[in-house]
Amino acid sequence: MTGAATAPVLRVRGLTRRFGGVVAVADVDLDIAPGERRAVLGPNGAGKSTLFNLIAGADTPTSGSIELFGADVTRLGARQRARLGLSRTFQTSRLLTGLTVEDNLYLAAVGVSGGRLRLLRTARDRTAREQARATAESVGMTDRLATLAGDLSHGEQRQLEIGLALVAEPRMLLLDEPAAGLSRSERQLLTALLLSLDRDVTLLLIEHDMDVALTVAERVTMMHDGVVIVEGTPAEIRGDQRVHDLYLGKAHV
Amino acid sequence: MTMDRMLTLGTRGALAVVLVVVALMPVLCTTFFTSQVGLTSLWLGLVAVSLTFLSGYGGMVSLAQTALFGVAGLIAARLSVESGWDPWAAALAGILAATAVGLLFGAVASGSQGIYFLIITLAFAQVTYFYFAAVPTFGAHEGINGVRPPAVLGDPVQDPARMYWFLLVVSVLAFLGLRHVSRTAFGLALQGVRDDPVRMAALGYNVRLHRTLGFTLAAPVAGAAGVLSAWSNTRMSAGSISLAIAILVLTTAVIGGLNRLEGAWVGALIYTLCDTYLRGWTDRFTTWLGVVFLVIVLVSPGGVVGLLGSATSWLHSRLRGGAPPPAAPSTPAPPVPVSSGGAR
Repeated sequence: MTGAATAPVLRVRGLTRRFGGVVAVADVDLDIAPGERRAVLGPNGAGKSTLFNLIAGADTPTSGSIELFGADVTRLGARQRARLGLSRTFQTSRLLTGLTVEDNLYLAAVGVSGGRLRLLRTARDRTAREQARATAESVGMTDRLATLAGDLSHGEQRQLEIGLALVAEPRMLLLDEPAAGLSRSERQLLTALLLSLDRDVTLLLIEHDMDVALTVAERVTMMHDGVVIVEGTPAEIRGDQRVHDLYLGKAHV
Repeated sequence: MTMDRMLTLGTRGALAVVLVVVALMPVLCTTFFTSQVGLTSLWLGLVAVSLTFLSGYGGMVSLAQTALFGVAGLIAARLSVESGWDPWAAALAGILAATAVGLLFGAVASGSQGIYFLIITLAFAQVTYFYFAAVPTFGAHEGINGVRPPAVLGDPVQDPARMYWFLLVVSVLAFLGLRHVSRTAFGLALQGVRDDPVRMAALGYNVRLHRTLGFTLAAPVAGAAGVLSAWSNTRMSAGSISLAIAILVLTTAVIGGLNRLEGAWVGALIYTLCDTYLRGWTDRFTTWLGVVFLVIVLVSPGGVVGLLGSATSWLHSRLRGGAPPPAAPSTPAPPVPVSSGGAR
């Protein structure tokens, strides 16, 4: 798995995104191997979310390129990348609030499997429904299937947010601050869920919560002011003076 | 559980009774009432339901439904009166034309949301109105008179019973068809697009395509209403699709309730009753209609049907002491100000 021959799932080269005079992401290179668990850390404004949106296709880079599963996707939109096997969660939950939990998961299954415009119910619906229910079970929401997503508690909404990303069995999963606003026990459940994910899935997560990030990740990329300042194992990151300075707000690098 | 079943059966039973009473209107009521109130409510409800569908399931509040109504009605009238087509063939041609125009309108408007969508569809409504008001082929302001419905449906003024039943069947089919659509992959995804287009793009959906097709799907419903209106009134003109009528359709849909398809016909019936009887009592008809509208909107944002729904839920919870069953579809989420399709 760590062999040099393994082609990266995600290869980012010279990625830059300017907003007017502000350079949110500056010349970032990133390689993520199949099955890897990678965390991107950094203080507010470091450019994590912008980098994330660029990778997911929700935003277009000013320059640079993004390769996903060996194909250049720099010019593809979010939906084409989703169909290639890239799933994402959102920092603030984006759920289909007027639909039930089951219908949310069902649509997530249909979105990638095809038949999005079907006007008749077919056997594929049954498969998608089964996928939806199985995912609900794995994120612990079986008893909430008939509840409207808009009526869920914050913690449950975050659970469903992850469920939506998992249901289509993605090859790569982008998690944007999955622990945001969760209680301590909910964070432990989340960590356990992420650790239990199949190795076929490559994981890239942005997280403010160091405990979750450093437990789940095998490698950590540290960003500050739009650039990658250090990359290493969680142990290396814990011991890095620059990381300490950044998080304790002592000085800028 | 058995109580639930009984309540469900009770609701179904009540609906069946309502449908039977509605079906018996030509037998129970005067010819005037059947023709004036019955026929008008049904075709007005049919054009309003195309808006209710777009708004409730697609989050698209369209003012262009009367334009599609007019395209179908005027083309069908023109072909049957001037070109001597069979009324059924003329109707089919009109509805197909409305669907094609709906596809065009939908393709253009689907890139916009909220107030911008409303304004674009308003522009479509006005362009269509001025086109028909100016072109002599469609009778310009005079419109087309002497439209003859198919012989099998009888005379809509002297003997409106068969026409009434035909409109009722079309209405029930439109209702069942749209309700079926709302439960399919396409329809659920349309509701997903209504709730959060960014999420839907991230799930692999083409948001703009979905909006366009949703709009196109509602077009033949509005078109059928146009043809049936031309048949019921034996005439149609540009005045039938003026801005005032576009707003009337919106008002009708809101009075009935934008969250439920059946609300369209309830709103249409309330409007038609007011229009038929309130006018005789007062010179300030429009003012009173405005008051009725305000009261309904203020008391129940879900319209009259929303009010009935709340009452039923209240009754359920009283009878059962439990939580009421959720009504579908729920209130649409407020529009999210984002571009469609994810990537710009």
